[in-house]
Amino acid sequence: MKKLFGPLKILFFLVPLLLSACATTDIYRDPNMDFGAIQTIAVMPFLNLTRDNIAGERVRDVFINKLLSTGAVYVLPIGEVARGIARAEIQNPAAPSQEEVVKLSGLIKAQAVVTGVVKEYGEVRSGTTSANIISISLQIMEGTTGKVVWTASTTKGGISIWDRLLGGGGRPMNDITDKAIDDLINKLFK
Amino acid sequence: MISLTSFLNKKTIIFFAGLLLLFGCATGKEATKENLPGMGEQFLIAVLPMENLSGTAVPLREIRGALIEGLKARGIHVLQDDTLEKFMAKHRIRYTGGIDKITAREFKDEINCQGVLITSLELYNDTNPPKIALTSRLVSTGDNPVILWIDGIGLAGDESPGILGLGLIEDPKMLQRKALNYLLDSLRESLSGQKESKGLEVKRKFRPKISYRSPLMEGKREYTVAVVPFFNKSDRKYGAEIMSLHFVRHLKEFEGFDVIEPGLVRQQFLTLRIIMDQGVSLADAQAIFSMLNVDLVVTGQVLDYQDYQGSFGKPKVDFTAEVIERKSREVVWSSTSYNQGDDGVFFFDWGKVNTAYGMAHQMVRSIGKLMAK
Repeated sequence: MKKLFGPLKILFFLVPLLLSACATTDIYRDPNMDFGAIQTIAVMPFLNLTRDNIAGERVRDVFINKLLSTGAVYVLPIGEVARGIARAEIQNPAAPSQEEVVKLSGLIKAQAVVTGVVKEYGEVRSGTTSANIISISLQIMEGTTGKVVWTASTTKGGISIWDRLLGGGGRPMNDITDKAIDDLINKLFK
Repeated sequence: MISLTSFLNKKTIIFFAGLLLLFGCATGKEATKENLPGMGEQFLIAVLPMENLSGTAVPLREIRGALIEGLKARGIHVLQDDTLEKFMAKHRIRYTGGIDKITAREFKDEINCQGVLITSLELYNDTNPPKIALTSRLVSTGDNPVILWIDGIGLAGDESPGILGLGLIEDPKMLQRKALNYLLDSLRESLSGQKESKGLEVKRKFRPKISYRSPLMEGKREYTVAVVPFFNKSDRKYGAEIMSLHFVRHLKEFEGFDVIEPGLVRQQFLTLRIIMDQGVSLADAQAIFSMLNVDLVVTGQVLDYQDYQGSFGKPKVDFTAEVIERKSREVVWSSTSYNQGDDGVFFFDWGKVNTAYGMAHQMVRSIGKLMAK
């Protein structure tokens, strides 16, 4: 009896250990970066990889407002960022180079620059079921060095088991966008 | 000699003090005269040709004719059409969505007109059920044109069907009359000096979904506001102009905001040759602050402004608003609002909003309310 419990006990402790080792994270955070020093942020236009032409702008607007409403940082007006992009002559504002980030930050006096990619935005179908989905990834670059100090991604919505069983088309797009942005902001302030 | 000097000094002081007091009185009188020119007495109004923001072909002349008839029926003096046409041709006035300083002055000096009525038609649909949305404002003439009155209405024929559909309005003319009567009564009340007892209640569901209000914004202060053109990213033609008008109308409802006539803002944009790429930059905002002497600049983006035809469907409105303050040069208000006509509707379309105008009206008013807090 004792012999039988011996290996079981070991397994019982070993499995959670092994599982936790398998767990991965979709966040990168520069350990040397003092995020508390960031007071002003510029949010660049997001790269839109979806079929919706203004998905990038929709998500960017929600992100800016959510970030402002936390009260933790000040986000520069989008018009000011656009002016900075024009003055810094950034060719691809959605994916600026390290030098471009440094130049832009100096011009508009931002301590960090946020870039983002909207990978999915809208309806997905599987058989007869459909639901809304959003997938975003963000990165923050330090203004003085242009180094990436934080990245994270999130996916919300999609077809759940309940959608398959009951139908209904999933949650509205705006609600899912809110959830996704909340998730990213939680990851940022964690 | 000393006594004479002191006597003279006293006299001089009294003289200058008197002059100062007189100046004070004069300015006060002039401002009242300018802002409320002869309300209730002989008040001549020029009714500008309507601005069509519906994006469709609309019987504008007919609606304007009905508006003028309504004004006359309510005892309001209206400038003759031929005089107005000659005046507009002489001064080459083509834009009828607002008036600039020079035009306002000419209206007063040349034809002694005390007010200009500017009406924008935002929706007109004569298919059953008909729909209409209008915003109208009265702007004073003279050197300092100010908005004396502004109101608007959005109606749909199936808004209140009642028992057995007895409340349905199928005739577009009838709906048009109803909308015009509402506006005209509101204008008459305002001109006769009756205190507007409008409730500013807004349903909770129309509040902005995300909002930020900076502590820099003082609730008890009076702000002069310029509503600059919004960015239209929706499929609706003139969605930005419609949203700007909503902000002008609803911010004007609150005592803490003195909204500048949009025609003046437009004129400054043309004078300064401001071309906005994506939004108002701080340099643009600074130019507007100093030229118009305003404290706040309101702007934003319209992402959706959808109406629907027929009985089945739901309107959609989605926009963001941003307010920049003069002293701090910072964003002091930022919000995201989105709603659909059937939000919070569960039984028999009870509580459904049938026009995007009706929804935007509540959404923008709720923003004004939160800003004015």
